[in-house]
Amino acid sequence: MTGARRNPLRFWPQYVAVSPFFLLFAAFGLFPLAFSAWLAFHRWDGISPVTFAGFDQFRFLVADATFRKAVVNTIIIWIMATVPMLFMSLGLASMLNSVKRFRTLYQVILFLPSVTSIVAVVIFFKAIFDNQVGVVNQVLEAIGLSGVQWLNGYWTIKIVLAVIMTWQWVGYNAIIYYAGLQAISGEVYEAAKLDGAGPLRTFWSITVPLLRPVIIFTVVVSTIGGMQTFAEPQVLFGSNASINPNSGGPGQAGLTMVLYFYQQAFNNNNYGYGAAIAYGVFAIVAVFTLINWRITARAEK
Amino acid sequence: MAAHDTATVDRKGPSRPAPVQKGKSVRNAAKWAHLPMVVASLLLLFPFYWTVVMATNTNADYYATPPKVVPGTHLLENIASVLTSINFFGSMANTAIVAVSVTVLVLFFDSLAAFAFAKYDFPAKKFLFGLMLAFFMVPAQLSTVPQFITMINIGWVGTLQALIVPAAANAFGIFWMRQYISTSIPDEILDAAVMDGCGFFRQYFLVVLPVIRPGLAFLGIYTFVQAWNDYVWPLIVLINPDMLTLQVALSQLNVSRGTDYAVVMAGAVLAIIPLIVVFLAFSKQFVADSVKGAVR
Amino acid sequence: MNLSRRNLLLGSGLAALGAGALSACSTSAGGSGGSGGGSTSGLALWYWNGGLSDKVVEASKTQFPKDDIKPNKVGGDFKQKLQTTLTGGSFIPQITGVKGEDMPFFRSVADKFTDLNEFGAKDIAATQLAWKWAEAQTEDGKQLGFPIDIGPTATFYRADILEQAGLTSDPTAVAAATSTWDDFYAFGQELHGKVPASFPVPSLATVFQIIVGQLTNRFVGKDNTFTGGSDEMKQAWDTTVKAQALGINANAGQNLGPALAAGTIAMDLGAAWHALDISDAAPDTSGKWRIANNPVKPTNFGGSFLTIPSATEDKQAAFDVIKWILSTDNQGQAFTDATIFPADPAAWKLPALTGGDEFFGGQKTIDIFGPAGEKVPEQYVAASDSAVSAAYYNELTNVEANGKNPDQAWTDAVAAAKDIAQRQGVK
Repeated sequence: MTGARRNPLRFWPQYVAVSPFFLLFAAFGLFPLAFSAWLAFHRWDGISPVTFAGFDQFRFLVADATFRKAVVNTIIIWIMATVPMLFMSLGLASMLNSVKRFRTLYQVILFLPSVTSIVAVVIFFKAIFDNQVGVVNQVLEAIGLSGVQWLNGYWTIKIVLAVIMTWQWVGYNAIIYYAGLQAISGEVYEAAKLDGAGPLRTFWSITVPLLRPVIIFTVVVSTIGGMQTFAEPQVLFGSNASINPNSGGPGQAGLTMVLYFYQQAFNNNNYGYGAAIAYGVFAIVAVFTLINWRITARAEK
Repeated sequence: MAAHDTATVDRKGPSRPAPVQKGKSVRNAAKWAHLPMVVASLLLLFPFYWTVVMATNTNADYYATPPKVVPGTHLLENIASVLTSINFFGSMANTAIVAVSVTVLVLFFDSLAAFAFAKYDFPAKKFLFGLMLAFFMVPAQLSTVPQFITMINIGWVGTLQALIVPAAANAFGIFWMRQYISTSIPDEILDAAVMDGCGFFRQYFLVVLPVIRPGLAFLGIYTFVQAWNDYVWPLIVLINPDMLTLQVALSQLNVSRGTDYAVVMAGAVLAIIPLIVVFLAFSKQFVADSVKGAVR
Repeated sequence: MNLSRRNLLLGSGLAALGAGALSACSTSAGGSGGSGGGSTSGLALWYWNGGLSDKVVEASKTQFPKDDIKPNKVGGDFKQKLQTTLTGGSFIPQITGVKGEDMPFFRSVADKFTDLNEFGAKDIAATQLAWKWAEAQTEDGKQLGFPIDIGPTATFYRADILEQAGLTSDPTAVAAATSTWDDFYAFGQELHGKVPASFPVPSLATVFQIIVGQLTNRFVGKDNTFTGGSDEMKQAWDTTVKAQALGINANAGQNLGPALAAGTIAMDLGAAWHALDISDAAPDTSGKWRIANNPVKPTNFGGSFLTIPSATEDKQAAFDVIKWILSTDNQGQAFTDATIFPADPAAWKLPALTGGDEFFGGQKTIDIFGPAGEKVPEQYVAASDSAVSAAYYNELTNVEANGKNPDQAWTDAVAAAKDIAQRQGVK
């Protein structure tokens, strides 16, 4: 800024163009971050006067095994949900691109889950994965297998959460990929065909590279969504709320970072510690941001 | 490109100037592709069927063994419970106001900023873009508490602008539109526009905006869905029970001591109908635009 | 329609006076924040679905036409909503419900509420249950809440399944046969042995909740010290996990509803209001359930209050409304409408309560819950209690769902609870 003191005026349209984001961000992003930082050095129950706590909250955070558990859970659930989902989305998108009839119908069907109320979605999956009377277990037993205690186990809880997230977002991502595929010129495929490339090769060496910006977009969005997983475990294990709210189910296997933050801040009225957790999450998310940044930077070339 | 230059997408395949034999195999492959699509569709639709089953039965049927698998006759009474328990239509109107406002603002602000970032060099651009990326992935819930306090201080608690204004521009959208603009708009077109004496904003409105409509369609759907489904922030900031959004109102059906699942599901069914209508209207435009964008 | 409502909001906001630095610019300082033409602020009453009788609330409008009562059923996380509203300083209701389990927290911020003693609550105290009354009382004697209902606990059981197992199904005999936890387990073992598909314990949390209620000290003592590692707590833990070792735990914590409907749960432990959970989840089992005294002694679980936030202007008017809504007769009405078990012992003598309950095979449930309500032991519950107790419930689910060693689970629970307690400012 200082080096180009006379220049900036010439670029006023560009500054005006980018200013809405930065103004809004200053008011509703930066200030809250700064306030959180201040809060992380204090104790506050949400109503009473705030008292200074020094580095206590961060000392607690470093020693907090439950927070570590929540971090691991979040990453595992994110991987289990995102990786298979994006592959399935890509597959569905190319199928959708190659069929000729019913495209609009398929699109509507693919889109529907993403606009369904999360509360209703989770109640549905809770019902079908019920340990005893769930449809999934009844089908398993009907074909001679034994039922699974879905909502009890460390891995099965994560599977259920991943299934919920996959169901809700697989079609949405497929539509985005499909729209990306639509933008790829047919000539490219004709050329590939003339070179004798098979469908798989065409897919890997033409479709995927050309879809790269779209794929990056979906990976970034899914990462952000995955790191913020909250409503799914909150609603899934919210029924015993009066005794032990938002603990993430048996073995706290469904306790995600944001759910833990919410529990500490809003259930336990420990806003100072909540702020410290927020910064812990921020640090972890920063690592993923760097990874994303690198991928993006490569795509720039 | 000529292959795409048809009125509807559906005719794209047959118009390919491919040899007859290859055309056949393409056509066969296309038919086979229906199989996974139908399987996926059934899997995706099953929960909706189940939602309808639950919405048309009583709460007790939810716990029955074996579970009810066919729709029942209690839909109207469940819907009646929804309408008496929550201000359904009021909250739907609020949700629509929020989702539409946010979407329109985001599309405008994000694409404008994206255009500047994609096609112009200006002092501190790298720094500003980096700053934006740096806060790219800060989970929104984490600043909930201070944001609530901000809203108290500016007197927006309980109002819809508390939902609309903070969401009016976002890093994801700018990032995505920048990608889109840098790949879909050739510099030559812009240079030509500059030669014609177009300034930054006229370039944006006359050249950029028409071309990026498919990109805006993605972002529009994404933003609309996010705004429509936003749950945590409205739950906290809309403290006036007369003024809620649909998600919060629906969660109110989820009562403290035992949930009446039948009523929640009936509410979910009601809530999704307008979205299906919107998407049906939107998707035609969406597909047509995608093709246009590819052609230009 | 929506826009005009917002204009009204702005209108009422202009008339409002800021109550402090934080709320100086907020739109409304205590109005119901909505309809009403902007002339009167009205009397906003917050409760949750099933928290009060809707009929009684509706009737209060005609009873107090001048007050312009505006009832609002607030859903979701009620405590969080009330707390943020009190912090926010706008849209604060004139009267609000507070759940029993949240009272310890709100008691710690007593200045946000009105001392009901100043408006005549003192005269009513003698007619109320002492232990319940004390729950909403601060150290210096301020009365923050007027009891709506109580949650005396008892054993719920399926008479048909007990008979199938060749056991007695008479409430007095069942209570006698299960008067200690050891007896209860022995009884349960016999039941489960004869009818293997049915269990006497729904989940370990159900048992632990009651046993902890029977202790002299909970997790945090009155002097704000951690008591979660005490000998009596260890005993409570050992008694609880014994149900797992004996194989009589249904482990239905994640799916109580289906388990109740399927008859997997033959015996259940819970508060009076738990009857509604059972009848909602398993209406087909109507007539088969009975109620008996739970082992050792009754405890209390839940039960709520009506309070007046200190921001309320006409506190006397608000208190008069509370007094009417929670009058003896209306508490009886609330029991009829929504099985809200009256906190006022006088209401127990009303026909609404003394009649038999069809769901419980015509049993007069008040004969169990009434005396239980009288005998609930007074117990100190700290504001940090629920946060600290979470560690124990987490480990109990580990024991029952994942087969964790109970002793290891105890060690981990105490360690985790100490951490939480420290974060909550417990010494």
